[in-house]
Amino acid sequence: MNERIRDEIVLELSHVTKRFGGLTAVGDVSFKVRKGEIFALIGPNGAGKTTIFNLITGVYALTEGEIRFLDKCVIARGGVTYDADGAQIPHGKALQLKPYDIMSKGMARTFQNIRLFKSETVFNNVLTACHADADYNVFQSLWRWKAGPKWLTKYRTQEAKLRAKTEELLKIMGIWKYRDMIAANLPYGQQRKLEIARALAQAPVLLLLDEPAAGMNPEETMALMELIKEVRDRFDLTVLIIEHHMDLIMSGSDRIFVLNFGKALAEGTPAEVQNNAEVVEAYLGKEENADGHA
Amino acid sequence: MSWYYIEGILIQSCYTLLIVLGLSILTGYTGMFSFGHAGFVCIGGYVSVICTMAFDLPYAVGLLAGGLVSMILGAGLGRITLRLKGDYFCIATLGVGEAIRLIFNNLQLNWSINGKNFMLDGAKGIASVPLKTTFGISLVIVVIFVIATSFLVNSKHGRCMLAIRENELAAQMSGINTFSYKMLAMCMSALYAGIAGGMLAHYFGYLQPKMFMMTKSTEYTIMVIFGGMGSITGSVVGTVLLCALPELLRAVGDWRLVFYGLAVIVIMIVRPMGLMGGKELRIGYYVNRLTRKLLKKSDPLPGGDEEEEAQ
Amino acid sequence: MGIGYYLQQLVNGICLGGMYALMSVGYSLVYSIMNFSNFAHGGVIMVGAYVGYYALTALGCPFLIAFLLCGVGSGLLAIVIERLVYNPLRKRHAPSLYFIISAMGASIFLENFVIASIDGTPRNYPAVFANSISIGGLSLGIDSLLMIIVSAAALLILMFIIQKTKIGLAIRACSYNERASTLMGVNGDLVIFTVFLMGGILAGFAGILYGMRFIVKPTIGQVTNKSFVAAVFGGLGSLPGAILGSLLLGIMEIFVASWNSTLRDLFVYALLILVLVVKPSGLMGKVTEDKA
Repeated sequence: MNERIRDEIVLELSHVTKRFGGLTAVGDVSFKVRKGEIFALIGPNGAGKTTIFNLITGVYALTEGEIRFLDKCVIARGGVTYDADGAQIPHGKALQLKPYDIMSKGMARTFQNIRLFKSETVFNNVLTACHADADYNVFQSLWRWKAGPKWLTKYRTQEAKLRAKTEELLKIMGIWKYRDMIAANLPYGQQRKLEIARALAQAPVLLLLDEPAAGMNPEETMALMELIKEVRDRFDLTVLIIEHHMDLIMSGSDRIFVLNFGKALAEGTPAEVQNNAEVVEAYLGKEENADGHA
Repeated sequence: MSWYYIEGILIQSCYTLLIVLGLSILTGYTGMFSFGHAGFVCIGGYVSVICTMAFDLPYAVGLLAGGLVSMILGAGLGRITLRLKGDYFCIATLGVGEAIRLIFNNLQLNWSINGKNFMLDGAKGIASVPLKTTFGISLVIVVIFVIATSFLVNSKHGRCMLAIRENELAAQMSGINTFSYKMLAMCMSALYAGIAGGMLAHYFGYLQPKMFMMTKSTEYTIMVIFGGMGSITGSVVGTVLLCALPELLRAVGDWRLVFYGLAVIVIMIVRPMGLMGGKELRIGYYVNRLTRKLLKKSDPLPGGDEEEEAQ
Repeated sequence: MGIGYYLQQLVNGICLGGMYALMSVGYSLVYSIMNFSNFAHGGVIMVGAYVGYYALTALGCPFLIAFLLCGVGSGLLAIVIERLVYNPLRKRHAPSLYFIISAMGASIFLENFVIASIDGTPRNYPAVFANSISIGGLSLGIDSLLMIIVSAAALLILMFIIQKTKIGLAIRACSYNERASTLMGVNGDLVIFTVFLMGGILAGFAGILYGMRFIVKPTIGQVTNKSFVAAVFGGLGSLPGAILGSLLLGIMEIFVASWNSTLRDLFVYALLILVLVVKPSGLMGKVTEDKA
């Protein structure tokens, strides 16, 4: 439907299951996210959406199944996996990369309950997240003069680049004027934008947004969606988004995956999902009290 | 007050500042709390004294050896505890700090090397250590470390450490290897403490395990908090103030620590970022601005060229 | 040295372990709810020991009254500390680093306040129970017997409260997830109040028992370091773990001391490091996952 979206698979979840003690938070969920897509994850509260984010980013260890990122690289594999027909194939050891390792392979995320570096300035929040673009070591950071062999002046050259990149990102997100403000003092909506800017600083392939429009009014929400699309085009991103604002999801996303009680309910284009009777009943509730918000 | 007396306070301020700088990296920047830093000072002191007295090595080598051994110990402690969630690190530092002191309390050494006798006698410690820590040497060492530390914290390494203190999960999700940065902070602060231990030993002229009780560790932490977490200037101000204060206020005596305890509680409630509030006195920055104004030359700086002075 | 000697040492070990248990449950309770190490707990124990000392000497109270006074005094102190020191931080949702630092501040304050206002010299409790009874060749001091009985009774009552009462249920719920529990209608303030009160009362009992057996001085709060070790040994945040860990630590410490008394303290900290290397979750600890 769109030339942006390519057949290349960025993220693949197969038979992903997470149990907390006896409770199955996510049960046997599989989906594929293609390059360039805005892929939405929706479902009532407690459906396991954020848990899926935490599984993808390695915050939680997988119980079963497998998560692949950028085709070849397996980021997590639970104690059990499945073959193409869905039959269990036991294998040796469960595999689980460390969260920072996963993220540095080309992922970035935001959080449902904003997690900024609160007492740092807006500028430094983004600058901190640019760290992967600089590779000077502890000793090289001690040399602050312009003079000297190239390997020694790394700090100066690289730091200038980081600052330029930070400035660019803050301007794109429209929060450049707040750059010297302490992050905690920022208005709520701007904090969400700052979190996205910080995520973009990691130069991700896949951006995971956890309810980026929570607490925003309809106008702000639509403006944010435009911003997300713009950013996606500009940095050639793939976006996986959790959201409760139905209008944002229906107008903005390319494909939707519906979760209910940790299980897959439906998957398809916004139009397909909107017309799915099961989704309407489980997610929006009975006709009388359907108000578009779960 | 004679110069001799003032000099003593200044030397003490210098090596205490070195310890506090290290703790500032650990607690102020990375957000980890250590109860056992006196233990690292202790091991640094003993190792350096053994180097200079038993093996006749130069003072500088002694300091370095003390710092390195302390750092290796810190790395070992970090390796065990930093992956664990919860207050394990905190309790482990308490245990290690006490354990080091107790080991030296029970350690008896009587070596004869090249006809010279070296005695380490448990609780009595080591006597007649050569007095090699002068004010000049301490000042040079501490100024170098203050500048190096302020450069370090003003780089991506310092920012990553601060990110861990601010929000560890967000730091991880930003692709920061939180474990290795915590290790770095731990190793550096242990190194600083070890070197300071060597300076301390060669200033007092003797070493006893009881000089490194747990209350010492908490006093160092108080200096970091007093000056301000996440500020090198704060550490300098906090140390100099709290080192000089007890000497000036001898009359207050026992109430000094009562006041410290109370101050810590009040600071945490009213102004948790301490005296400097996480800010720096950016002398380099002002000097730069002044010179640029004078030379009418615009030279875009990548920032972070600020440095603080020691005294 | 026959079997009698070892039995005697075992009894001494249980005495010491029971005292550690009284200390470490208060620490573990607070840790399980508020997720920080309450290093002010040692100060509360020390104040309890002083209350007991003055109740027995200056006021000349009978032992039972002095014992109860200790519980009341320490319980009140623990609540006051919570109100004045931790509550403002809790309201601000301050990071746990701030709590630990404040706890350290409170501990320094209490210890040095006693040094400055009374003095730092160690004092001996008056001999309350000098008699001993002998069972099958084993000589048991009344005080040892009393310590074991009192510790066991206090811990049993605590376990009863935690397991069977409504507030106990609330405490258990909060230890799993404080925020979720408060959202479900659990009164978080009441839970924290109760936890500090119970921890404080037990700390007071521990204080008077410790003072009776050993001495009372401003630095006895540092004995709690060992109860932290016991809590880690048993499993950080687990109440039965803290009790089991304390008992085992007490027994092992006494046996090590009877072999070589200078290695006594060193053994405790060596054990801590061993536990951290081999099994950091301790004897009964649970592994938890962070919530994002």
